[in-house]
Amino acid sequence: MLQLQFFGLIRLLLKREALELAWTEGDTVQRVLDRVQVQVAVPFIQKLIDDQGTPHPGTIILVNRRNILHLQGLQTPLADGDTLAFFPPGAGG
Amino acid sequence: MSKGYKGKVLRVDLSSGTCKTEALNAEWAKSYLGGRGLASKYLTEEISPDVDPMSPKNKLIMATGPLTGTYGAANGRYMVVTKSPLTGTIASSNSGGYFPSELRYAGFDMIIFEGKAARPVYLQIHNDRAELVGAIHLWGKSTNETEDAIRNEFHGDAKVACIGPAGENGVFYANIMNDKHRAAGRSGVGMVMGSKNLKAVAVRGTGGVRVADPKAYRDAALESYGLLKENPVTGEGLGALGTAVLVNVINQSGALPTRNAQTGTFEGAEKISGETLAATYLKRNKSCMGCIIGCGRVTKLSDAKYSGDGEGPEYESLWALGAACGVSDLAAITKANYICNEYGMDTITAGSTVGCAMELYQRGLISEKEAGMPLEFGNGEALVKLMELTGKGEGFGKKIALGSYRLAESYGMPELSMTSKKLEFPAYDPRGIQGMGLEYATSNRGACHVRGYLISPEILGIPEKLDPHVTEGKATWLKIFQDFTAVVDSAGVCLFTTFGIGVPQFVKFCNAANGTSLSDEDLLAAGDRIYNLERMFNLKAGIDPSQDTLPKRILEEPLPDGPVKGDVCRLSQMLPEYYKERGWSAKGVPTEAKLQSLGLA
Repeated sequence: MLQLQFFGLIRLLLKREALELAWTEGDTVQRVLDRVQVQVAVPFIQKLIDDQGTPHPGTIILVNRRNILHLQGLQTPLADGDTLAFFPPGAGG
Repeated sequence: MSKGYKGKVLRVDLSSGTCKTEALNAEWAKSYLGGRGLASKYLTEEISPDVDPMSPKNKLIMATGPLTGTYGAANGRYMVVTKSPLTGTIASSNSGGYFPSELRYAGFDMIIFEGKAARPVYLQIHNDRAELVGAIHLWGKSTNETEDAIRNEFHGDAKVACIGPAGENGVFYANIMNDKHRAAGRSGVGMVMGSKNLKAVAVRGTGGVRVADPKAYRDAALESYGLLKENPVTGEGLGALGTAVLVNVINQSGALPTRNAQTGTFEGAEKISGETLAATYLKRNKSCMGCIIGCGRVTKLSDAKYSGDGEGPEYESLWALGAACGVSDLAAITKANYICNEYGMDTITAGSTVGCAMELYQRGLISEKEAGMPLEFGNGEALVKLMELTGKGEGFGKKIALGSYRLAESYGMPELSMTSKKLEFPAYDPRGIQGMGLEYATSNRGACHVRGYLISPEILGIPEKLDPHVTEGKATWLKIFQDFTAVVDSAGVCLFTTFGIGVPQFVKFCNAANGTSLSDEDLLAAGDRIYNLERMFNLKAGIDPSQDTLPKRILEEPLPDGPVKGDVCRLSQMLPEYYKERGWSAKGVPTEAKLQSLGLA
């Protein structure tokens, strides 16, 4: 199974904090996002990724608490049991 | 004087009770822009670096920038510049709201307070008329009460900046609140104001601000407005969830300093997060003057134990009054935040000092009898009670009023103070975010995050993503961020705009407002000049480069948990490179050649 956690605007949009998803061979972050989008019905991917398929500046996607931008981006492969955290752009100071 | 400036300084001699208007130094304004830079130039010219911050010889400057009170980004900021009683460094604390713009509409770029009033006074400004009036009836009142009383007796539309009881009672991190909920927060600028018996500044201005080239200015404003609107951070994220959204981000990154930085993750993070705040006490968001971001949090407590309303908590306050103290009771944190605002205290130093006291208690150095209450980590009731006692200057609050360094030092354990140059570091553990360690160690006002916010590239990936766990290249990034931030603080614009706009937009704004033809390099050189001016003041004040360091815990004790488990902040790998980037000697002193190149020799 994959553990998905939603934060920020996405949590408000989806009205859910987390989701458990079955892992399948060959899963990547992108494939999981596409599967989640079908499942939740509420459009949310555009909050994370632009029209060209690139994460917005400020989007943070973590796989086991490592930012995918330091892994293989949206093509980062996933293993059974991985935890994914999705943060749409936000900031502080 | 070019048009972006009002061209007038109000000089207030509190000792003699006189107010005089003088021309703004146009040459200095060209080199130091305004706000933080220009006020630092005035301060360094007018006080000796070794002055006792609490003596009448110290001065307190409130300074706007040439863009304050204009439109296009979030152009409503001012800076309070003085010598800090908390750190002994030059202090410059920034705030927004409506007060800064009103000062410009009244016709002034800057107010310089000198001397000390014989008894409490406050300053009334109604356009070009300024006078000191008695404030004995306001002494002891909260910041909210003070503002209401002044509006009632002076002018219903006056904008007010004032101190609360903390500034009167010598809390080392007393702040200056304006528009009730905005704070010139750090470094104890409110303690200096209190030492001068100055309770408040109230302004009513009905003029405007002119710019040199209105057409170019409008174009610059429209461009920036568009960029800020389109940017997902400034156009949506900050407005919806405010800065508080970072609690979960930084906790997941393993860099949320918890229980006085004993760990880097907090099991109660979700309970004190921006998402939880939005689902509980948040009523709406709020903007400062001319801002389209709207990061302010208007909240109301509806808890069985605590009541009240106000603004906040922001991310830093959620951390300081929450994770730093191991407190996961959002109502207690919010209440403690309100108390800090009403008494006029910096939430970062306040919370961090309570966290430090809790570790001293944990180690048996502070007893329950001495504190007057149990002080175990996680005790939200103790936190709220201590904030109240601190503001009032009563009981164990007198010790919390010292800040964490003086507190820990008094128990023989200064290394338990999470500070650099005696200023408490904010909500990012440098063991998990290396560049922030370099920023804390080299910031001219002590461990500060808003002098070169490397969280932006290291965590958020803006303008590009850097790996927070490596040290390479961080010195180069930090110098640019520090210089650019000095420009932003001097122009009178909110730092949050820089998530969406950059140097080119600031060049357009400044040139159109001031009629100058600065290049990108010229503007960053002004930032470099301001940074070096502050550094030279600190060196002359006895803050030598050996203080460009971090607490032993951060340098030597590996993080015990989270994704960064096992790491320390590798400051020694970055500091020599940083000195080199700055054109300083290997010992951290600006070289003669560097100072000459900036016109500082």
